[in-house]
Amino acid sequence: MVAFLVRRIFQMFVVTIVAALLSYGLLYLVPGGPVDALLAERQNSGQDRINQADIQRVQQRFDLDVYLPFRFTRWLIGWPSGPLFGSVGADWAIGCQTPGQVRLVYPDGTFELVEEGCADYLTLAELEGRRVSRGVFFGDFGVSQVILRDRPVSDLIATRLPYTLSLMGASILLAILIGVPIGIYSAVKQYSRFDYTMTTIAFIGSSLPSFVFGIFAILIFSVLAQRAGLPFLPPGDAVGVRDYTIPWIGTVQAGSFLDRFLRFLMPVSVLTFINIAGWSRFVRGSMLEVLQQDYVRTARAKGVREQVVITKHALRNSLIPFVTLLAGVLAALFGGALITESVFNWPGLGRLFIDALGRNDYNVVMALLFINVVLLLIGILITDILYTIVDPRIRLG
Amino acid sequence: MTATTTVVPGDETSRAPSETQWQIVLRRFRKHKIAVVSLVLLVMLVIISALAPVIAPFPRDAPSLQTRFVPPFTVDSQGNFRLFGTDHLGRDFYTRLLYASRVSLGTAFFATLIASTIGILLGMIAGYFGGWVDIVISRTLEVVATFPTLLLLLIMSSILVQNINSIPIPDFFANFLAWVFAVSPREARIIFAVILVLSLFGWTGTARLMRGMVLSVRENVYIESSRALGASNVRILGRHVFPNALPPMIVDFTLGINATLVAESALSFLGFGIQDPTPTWGNMLSFAQSYMFQHPWMPLIPSLPILFCSIAINYIGDGLRDALDPRQRG
Repeated sequence: MVAFLVRRIFQMFVVTIVAALLSYGLLYLVPGGPVDALLAERQNSGQDRINQADIQRVQQRFDLDVYLPFRFTRWLIGWPSGPLFGSVGADWAIGCQTPGQVRLVYPDGTFELVEEGCADYLTLAELEGRRVSRGVFFGDFGVSQVILRDRPVSDLIATRLPYTLSLMGASILLAILIGVPIGIYSAVKQYSRFDYTMTTIAFIGSSLPSFVFGIFAILIFSVLAQRAGLPFLPPGDAVGVRDYTIPWIGTVQAGSFLDRFLRFLMPVSVLTFINIAGWSRFVRGSMLEVLQQDYVRTARAKGVREQVVITKHALRNSLIPFVTLLAGVLAALFGGALITESVFNWPGLGRLFIDALGRNDYNVVMALLFINVVLLLIGILITDILYTIVDPRIRLG
Repeated sequence: MTATTTVVPGDETSRAPSETQWQIVLRRFRKHKIAVVSLVLLVMLVIISALAPVIAPFPRDAPSLQTRFVPPFTVDSQGNFRLFGTDHLGRDFYTRLLYASRVSLGTAFFATLIASTIGILLGMIAGYFGGWVDIVISRTLEVVATFPTLLLLLIMSSILVQNINSIPIPDFFANFLAWVFAVSPREARIIFAVILVLSLFGWTGTARLMRGMVLSVRENVYIESSRALGASNVRILGRHVFPNALPPMIVDFTLGINATLVAESALSFLGFGIQDPTPTWGNMLSFAQSYMFQHPWMPLIPSLPILFCSIAINYIGDGLRDALDPRQRG
């Protein structure tokens, strides 16, 4: 067990580093970013032209003048933050503050300035005093570059986290509470009308894209209901900005509990519906397998009541594969439902990811990706350990 | 009970010589009525989208201020009949839907084709040769499978689409894709980038499935006898292992098309996939969502094809699974 844990944690560590490297490298390739944004802003507003000092200042703030490998280590573990051991290598070049310029003169007299080499190197000593995150590895994700400029990414995540947790927590809980009994009943009454109906619904639920569901929900419960003069649900956002009147219910104050609840209802229902399909199918399959086992037949042969056979002998054993799904639940709780949150404009982490990606706020994107990978890995580890606890036949080795 | 079980196989063997393997599959598939109907409708949709440039009544991207938000089945102020109405820029929905079908279905098909090819090859190599090759491929597979796919899809797609001009795609290939999708070469480059991204993450399931199939197939005696006769690995893989591992792959491919179709729609819907003015069901739906409060019919136009294809492809996959399963009789 200990050897297994050590090996798995080491594996997790390697995968985490690889994921961090990949995501950082990937996003490094993207054009745009703070400097380009600043350039575009200045150009569009028609104010004074941006000069080299401005660019340098922005590059300094976001570490863009440090060479990529060191920028990565500074991002990952907050190192190097100055000369090594306090004094070694104070004049070692670690980046480039101003690129060198070479004047290319063409035969016809025209010329072009080409960036070549480096005119002003950034040394380790100059890194000292510069703000640096303590490192993503230690839970400091740096500052947001676009969405909330200069505010820590962790602040941004903290403000969005409750929305995602409530949405995902409620929908996963509801889906389990509804989906598991449906799955059990379907398996017990295999090929009954109930089973066929539920299988078809689950089949449709698992194959359809969630955004189509979301839009149909808005269409029916917000748009068409409102047009028909029936009670309707607000179509998006987590909190309203102004009061609105719903037939039969009356005026709903923006920001009141009722307002929040009404807005919560639709995304949760859509997510629940999608998840029910998965859970019920899973439980049905696992239950059917267990019902064919010898010990179930033995129990029936001994004259145990059917109800007891199902609940005591079959159900408990059919829930063993259940723990495998927990790996995904942890990451889903945190990661949120990207698409559903987008459709309903729900200010959770999934929506934050889409916003950050669309606006090139890399620190936020990388933080979310990194957290997601780590949570997935932790989920898998917990699943493996839980498996040995619920099923004594399985040993970790 | 015993009487019937002995009669049925006898029946089967008396009929067997006159039927090839594929005829049996076809006969079984035809029994699955919903799957047959789905297949026929889907093939019709493919034919219609292939004919898009011929049957489209209007230019694809021609905006017109006079004809914005014309409802379906009405005649607009210019006297043109609009079968599915017009969008927020006054572009004809029916025309754009025809082209979008071509782009969406084509993208899904090619991405799944690439992903399945990669998956089948790697799975076959891993399963057949075993040893360190298997370890390397299986570990890679596990690592790729741990990544949060949707997040990476979005990131990769956003990077590639933004850097579309720096991706080396040969001109003749871009022109070829442009011809396939009935779009301009520039649009074809973006479509190609999206196909790449989608196929990059789509192969893991296929590889795992194929590896498992090969592991069981290679234990058969006919593989051993083939090797005893001096057949090369390539010949064994191509003539014996691949055909015998194929049936589940066909089902996997079919369902893979649906998964890719949904993924592409989601990417385009969120704005990180194929970009307007190239129409896809996903990006058309994303615009329709913004105007659904004034024009509730708008989201129906692009979402109904998505719903239809999803359900149809799933039923076809279901029918194929039943038809290809050797344990089923009849």
